[in-house]
Amino acid sequence: MSREYTRFSVNQRLQHFFMFVPFIILVITGFPIKYPESSFGSFVFAAIGGIETARSVHRFAAAIMILDFVFHVAYVAYNILVNRAPLSKLYLLPGKKDAQDILKNLKYFLFLSDERPRFHKFSYIEKFDYWAVFWGMFIMAGSGIILWFPVEFSRIVPGVVIQIAYIAHSDEALLAFLAIIIWHFYNVHFNPRVWPANKVWYKGTLTEEEMEHEHPMELEEIKEKEKEER
Amino acid sequence: MLKMILRPRFTFLLSLIFMLAQPLHSDQADSENCSLCHDLASLVLMGDTGSFRNLEISSNSYRHSTHRNVICRDCHTDINTFPHPTTVQKVDCAKNCHITKPFALTGYSHVDQSEAHAISAHGKNPKYSDQKNASKPDCKYCHDNTFRNVIEDEVLAANSKHCGRCHEDAGLAGVILHVSSHSGHRSASASVKVVELCSSCHADESRMKNFDVNLTQVSGYENQFHGKALKRGMDNVANCMDCHRNHLNLPADDPNSSIHPNNIQMTCSANTYCHSNATAKFTAAAIHSKPTPSNNPIAFYVEWGFILLTAGTMAMLFAHIFLDFGRWVGDAWMRRRKQ
Repeated sequence: MSREYTRFSVNQRLQHFFMFVPFIILVITGFPIKYPESSFGSFVFAAIGGIETARSVHRFAAAIMILDFVFHVAYVAYNILVNRAPLSKLYLLPGKKDAQDILKNLKYFLFLSDERPRFHKFSYIEKFDYWAVFWGMFIMAGSGIILWFPVEFSRIVPGVVIQIAYIAHSDEALLAFLAIIIWHFYNVHFNPRVWPANKVWYKGTLTEEEMEHEHPMELEEIKEKEKEER
Repeated sequence: MLKMILRPRFTFLLSLIFMLAQPLHSDQADSENCSLCHDLASLVLMGDTGSFRNLEISSNSYRHSTHRNVICRDCHTDINTFPHPTTVQKVDCAKNCHITKPFALTGYSHVDQSEAHAISAHGKNPKYSDQKNASKPDCKYCHDNTFRNVIEDEVLAANSKHCGRCHEDAGLAGVILHVSSHSGHRSASASVKVVELCSSCHADESRMKNFDVNLTQVSGYENQFHGKALKRGMDNVANCMDCHRNHLNLPADDPNSSIHPNNIQMTCSANTYCHSNATAKFTAAAIHSKPTPSNNPIAFYVEWGFILLTAGTMAMLFAHIFLDFGRWVGDAWMRRRKQ
């Protein structure tokens, strides 16, 4: 039995859970309105009881997702301010290495070199996922709240803002949906090197081989540290 | 004897007899027996040029139409002889008919609607040519029989259940049905039909080419929440008539128009289930014209920004996925060749 390395704590796995469950609900209750003639949407609305129910469910799921996001921001802030996590421990921050890794990986993809980039805790692929959600949360939650209370918002902002919120909510929804089912699902699921699935989202751990393959630099660092401590 | 009548079985039989004795359809509207000729299937009039004109009025269809209680000559007032001449004047909807207005006991007519229509954007305007005026919709253009038949009104009847809780009397329910079908009681199917009817001209380039009408209004409505929600069966969203009014629809620059900048706030907040507390800023948002760089630059560029962002991001992500997959396939192929 090979050694298991902790990647995500229970807290972090729950944060992911309370992000993706509302996400799925938001997609299936929102897209039938974005595409009002789709037969899939008709099927969904027939199953859940029509557009009125869908709107309530959509807002309930949105509230959970926003709370999850707020919790996450507070969690990061707590780690920085109270636990005094050093900047070097904020592994999700993009850096110079990511640009180098992208170039290295492109060369590898094009058979120009056989050397794969050695990723640390988070590859540029995972960082993209993370920051895409960050950006998406601001756009989707911001525009969604405006559309939830359009008349109230019109007291403080000009009418065109409501119109922009409508455009942004609809368009960013499509981008987020595509990014998840194509990009994220490829990287954690359909990629033949990962297939059938990356189980870390519920197991929380990676095996020695998985670490070796996906996060060799992190593994190296862990082993060096253990050597020093011994 | 009285005891016998009150026996349930006998009462049942008696009511059965009365029921069967009733004519299946009361031909109240045809007391002058116009259907003697006009009910004949394929009753046609051959014109001088050899063209045919269908004169059949199926009694069955007529009995199920809104005007089922109005006798023919109430509208065709120039017919005084039998048989009548082959040329008959067109019906004027503003004429008084013999039925009385419910509760008011005054003569019923469509004169109010007719007058509003005459001064509306759909009315005949002296500044336009005769040809142009002829292509404007008259009463009968919109109020065809499929649009206002009783089958549609059954949906409205279901919606006016609320009144029926107190007014169980069938006659009164009929009145409510009649009034409600004309005073904006909603049903999803009715709103869908309104949008369909208005779009049949307003989204048609060939019909609108002579008029100063923005053709993107219909697609604008369909891309906006009211239009999308209506397609999904949400029946309390605004259809065309809710904001533009049914008969007195006027262009936005007319100070009497429901969509004139001075009045639009009142229009949006008119109903409690609409935007009852709408602010002036809220109603100032262009609701369903397609954003262009000149009329709405912010919305136009935001929309294009998102299109480019989505296309650009997805192109990059797809490229990454295909390259990644390509390398894996290449490696697998080479491994196999080595074996």
